[in-house]
Formats: sequence, structure tokens, C-alpha cells
Amino acid sequence: MIPRIALVGMPNVGKTALFNKLTGSFQRVANFPGVTVEKKTGWVTENGVRVLEVIDLPGIYSLDATTLDEKVTKDFLLKKEREASADLFVFVLDATNLDKSLYLALQLKELGYPLVIALNLMDEAKKRNFELDLDLFAERLSAVVVPTSAASGDGVEDLVRATRTALSRGNQVELKVPENSQKVFRSPAYVNGIFRQIDVLLSEVTISKLKPDTFSERIDRVVLHPVWGLVTLFTLLILIFQTLFTWAAPLQDLIEAGFSLAGEVATALIAHPLLRSLVVDGIISGVGGVLVFLPQIVLLFFFIQFLEDLGYLGRAAFLMDSVMRRMGLPGKSVIPLLSSHACAIPGILSTRVIDNHRERLITMLVIPLTTCSARLPVYAILIAAVIPDIAVGGLPWLRLPGLALFALYMLGFGSALAVSLIFKKTLPQASPSMLLMELPPYRIPKARNLFLTMKNKATIFLKKAGGIILIVSIVIWALISFPRTNGVAQIEQSYAADIGRFFGPVFAPLGFDWRITTALIPSIAAREVVVSALSLVLAVDGENEQHMASALAQQFGLGTLLALLIWFVFAPQCVSTFAVMKRETNSLRWPVLMVTYTLALAYVFAFLTRQLVLTLS
Amino acid sequence: MAWEIGGQRPRSLVYQTAMTINQAPMNANLVVRSFHTDEDRELSDLESRLMLLGFLHGEVIRVTRKAPLFKGPLLVEVRGRCVALSADEASLVRVEVVL
Repeated sequence: MIPRIALVGMPNVGKTALFNKLTGSFQRVANFPGVTVEKKTGWVTENGVRVLEVIDLPGIYSLDATTLDEKVTKDFLLKKEREASADLFVFVLDATNLDKSLYLALQLKELGYPLVIALNLMDEAKKRNFELDLDLFAERLSAVVVPTSAASGDGVEDLVRATRTALSRGNQVELKVPENSQKVFRSPAYVNGIFRQIDVLLSEVTISKLKPDTFSERIDRVVLHPVWGLVTLFTLLILIFQTLFTWAAPLQDLIEAGFSLAGEVATALIAHPLLRSLVVDGIISGVGGVLVFLPQIVLLFFFIQFLEDLGYLGRAAFLMDSVMRRMGLPGKSVIPLLSSHACAIPGILSTRVIDNHRERLITMLVIPLTTCSARLPVYAILIAAVIPDIAVGGLPWLRLPGLALFALYMLGFGSALAVSLIFKKTLPQASPSMLLMELPPYRIPKARNLFLTMKNKATIFLKKAGGIILIVSIVIWALISFPRTNGVAQIEQSYAADIGRFFGPVFAPLGFDWRITTALIPSIAAREVVVSALSLVLAVDGENEQHMASALAQQFGLGTLLALLIWFVFAPQCVSTFAVMKRETNSLRWPVLMVTYTLALAYVFAFLTRQLVLTLS
Repeated sequence: MAWEIGGQRPRSLVYQTAMTINQAPMNANLVVRSFHTDEDRELSDLESRLMLLGFLHGEVIRVTRKAPLFKGPLLVEVRGRCVALSADEASLVRVEVVL
């Protein structure tokens, strides 16, 4: 059996960078059992053979756990059974911030853990003139101390060697965990005691003191400045938004083009009409519907990891915290909320930057209300059908349709904030909502870490959410393709139309007839599909926006079309959002709540809109 | 001064009392005066995290920055690190100005 080690340390000590350096690309990301805390497992290889299993535990401040992440790490540390724990814990210290990172090390030493310590960021500490008596340091901690630099890779091999030596000694851990440990760890006397030990230890081993980090201080003068700080933040946010919205588009087009090419090839190759339809309209377009999200996911995580490694994410939270907190959201939620205006999928995945699980959940729940780019084609057609293209206030460049679109964006964002306030008041609070954190010094992000994050996020999405999305796509294809008359599918005779007619009475108060309800069914897979589905049931050319809009205006009343527009602001869609939320919350409860409340909002507001129009006209 | 030599903290050189971090002037040296009444009581989550970040009784700290917009968070220099805390969190720590 391969021995298992676990990396323990405070947040921001370069633990994950060290993990990446140790394991290379041999890693796997999953959740810890029962919770949505990320568990990274990797392997150290020697000549292609796995010799060590490494687990990267979530960063932890001390053994008195306050957050869910910390509880996971604490349980892992205190568990007796090897299956749920590790053979050896490697403790990662930040050499540029020993005062902070030693706390947990001393706590573990007192409990009797045999410690192998990676004194990380040693190169940076040396640059800042820091020097210490390593032998005395190791002796005082009764530990093996290996200076490392995860950035350059220095000392990583020494660390592996030291770990394996410690493992071969096979020392049995005899833990001395005090009774009612939480109470002991939580007493001021205990905390003060450990800090006194740190003071003594550091004064003994320090040969030359660490110089203050003037570099970060100088950057912060601009980045945290009341005016320039906000300018920097919003420039970055706009850049991220632009990337997701516009620059991911060519890649997405490329993927779509690839799949339509594959569809054409399959059409030419497969003679059997039903099989051809299954492959082309069901499978190929279903897989395409999954893969089309990848460019946005990968690009967003490139930015987020870049800002995180740079040390900026905490600063963004610092700037936005007081504003967002008024809405029941933490400062860090600005990035997920903004990203979700391009697409809810990367937005939901990126809520992992929020440490507090309740706040993360609230952010996830309200994200589907923000106006994602898939709503745009729907909005465009419906606005063209109901809003006359006239200038407003005598300004030729200010047109009514543009204002209507802006109003829809504001309606989406505003309702997301309003709903988050409601959730803030109603959802139970498990751990306190804190901003309280240390701002790390600025560091240059490493390409390797960025690449591994992008790869991990893409894999998680494809493996965990891709399956559901694909299955639902195929089911919906079957609903609109069967039964077939003379071997040809007719949407108005399909099962989808049966379902649409069945639900007709429910939607009658909104003015939706069976044609609209039928078209809504395929839009569960992706919102924008409602346009082509409507063109099918109305038998008009869906590619031509003008024809489509005038057909809609002819066939339906103003009240119905406005109700449909409002429906799309709130309605639960798409299945991918549901699938990702299920994966990210590790339960059905939250995605079901999301669907239920958005459905209720959509129904009520669409109904009110139609009644308002009917009353006014 | 004498108290700098032995690492002794300036307990007697304190003039202003009854103030929390969010009320304290920027860039002034402040002495933390919290968490000392009962050494064995159980700290709350927030208090515990505050102590772990270095807000210990007698520690000298400094408010270096305030975030803009609606009573924004504060940036405090404590034990050589730079800690961000919201106005609410800052109101938990009592300090006195060192003159």
C-alpha cells in the first residue's frame, strides 16, 4: 500500500503550490465525504511509479475550527482510523510570516504529532534579509525541518526524502488531545500561552530579522486607495466580463462550428433517419451543449486563480465588503455575480472563492436571476416584437429597445440582490460571517498553478455536470422527435406538444397557449432554443429576426409577449445550471429550492405583467 | 524609552480609554485592551479568530487604511501583518491610544 501524507498549514502559506510541485499533474479533485469542501489528492512519482499519496487539506488557522473547511481539516487531523486520515502530516510554514504560521505548528507539537515541516517561501524570506538558525529551530520544535520554495522547486526533493525517512521509522502517533479540547483551545489563557512560546522561539532562532514588505505596501497605496482602488477594481471586473462575454465567443463559435461539422458528417454517413436524428440532433448537439461552456469556465478560472495567486482577491473583498454586505452578500461575491452575467455555470463554479458556506449558498441561489448571455437572443426577438424602435427624449442615439434591454438587465440584477436579502434573513446561520483575514503580500502567479486550476475545473465540470446535461438534452430531443408520422417528426404532434397542451390551463392566466408552452420545453436545455422552437411551432423562418418578430406580434397579444419577456427574466433555466448547482452543493435540496422560487417569481410576475397590460389597454 | 528595551509593553503610558478600533485615529499607535477579564472563558468564533491574527492583550497595533463606501472595512497592522476587518469586527476590540 502506498503511504499517505497530508499537507497541513494556514491559508496563504503556499501549501497548494507546494502540493502542485510535489505531485505534478498526477492529481484528482473531489469533495470530502458529505461536504462541499474541495479535496485534492495527488501522487509523488519516482520513475513513473507512485511512491507517496498526498492530500492537500484546506488551510486552517488553528484546531479550534470555526469554518466548515477548518472542521474538515480538524477532523482529518484528529481521526484515529488510517482510512480517514494519513500516515504522516507534513506541516507547511510560511518563512515570511512565521509569527502567524507557527501557531498551529506549536499546537500540533503539543498534541504529540511527529512533525515534518516544510519551511516554505524560504527564497522570498531570504530576499527580505531573513536568516534563522535552522538546527535550533528544528530542535525546539522537535521536528524535521526542510526549507522549500514551491515557486522554484528548491527543497522539494529533500522534503520527499525527509518524509519517506520519517515514514520508514514508522513512529506510532500517541495523541494527547485534552478533554473538551474545543473549550481549552478557545480560552484566552491557552492562546496567549502559545503566542508567548512563539515570541520566545522566534527570538531564539532569528539571526537576522525579516525586512518589512515595502513592495506590497507601495502597490496598496494605489490598489487600496479610496478612488484609484475602486477604479482598479472596476477595470478588472470589466476586463473579466469582456473576456467572458466577447472573447470567449470565438472559442465557443469554434466549438459550435466543430459540432455542426460533425453533425453534417454524421448526416452524410448515417442512412437510417431515426438513428441519424438521434446522433445528430440528440447526441452531437447534446455533447456540444456541454462543451460550449468550457471556454468561459476555463477563462474565468484563469482570471480568478491569477488574482488569487497575485494576492488581489482579498483586496477586492476588502474594497467591496461593506457594499455587498448590505445585500446579504460578502465582498468576494462580486466576481461570481458579475461573471454570471455571461453565464451562470462559471459563475456558480466560481463561488468557491467565498469562504463562508452560507454566503456561498446564497450567492449560488441568486445567480440564476442575473441576465446570462443565453437570454440575449430571446430578449432581442421579444423586444423587436413588442417595443417600437423610436428615439427617447429627442435623442437619436437613445432608442427605446436599448432602454428596454437595459431595464431587463437591471430587473435581473436588482431581483438577485432583493432575493439575497430575503435569504439572508431566512436561511439558518452555521458559522459567523467574517471579513476578518490577513492580506497576503503580492506574489507573481505561476503558470503551472493557473494551468492546473483550469484543468481541474474543466474536468470537474465535464465529469460531474456534463452527464446530466447530456442525458436531459437527449430526453428533450426524444420529446420533440416522437411520435413520428411517416418517419418525420412534427413538433405540433410530438410528446412535447402533448405536455405543452396538458399544461396549457396552468399557463392560460399568463396568456401562454400550447405553442408557447411547447416551445418552453426544449428551452429547459438551453434558453436560446426557445427562439428556434417558436419558429417551428409558428412555421416561420427562425433565422430571420424580422420575420420572427412580426410573426410573434401578429400571433400573440402585447400582454402575452410582455409576460413571456418577464417569464424569461425569472424562469428557472437551464438544466446545466441545475446540474452544476447540484454538484456544487452536494445535494438536491438547494437546486430544487432555486427552481421552485424562480418558477414562482416567473409565474407571479408574468401574470402581473399581463394583468397590468390588459387593465391599461 | 525604557519599555522598549525589555520588550515590555507600555501599560502605564496610556491616556485615552474606552475606544474601539473603528473609532481610533488612523496611523496612531494603539494598545489592545481586550480579552483579558477572564483568562479561562470560552472565546466566540470571532474573538478567537481575532486573537489568532494577533489581537492580543497588550499588543501595539496601527490602523493603516480605511476602505471607501458605507463604513468600509479597516486595514490594521498587527504583529507585522496586514489584517483586514469589517467595521463591525473592529468594534469588538477595545484599544487605547499610546502617546
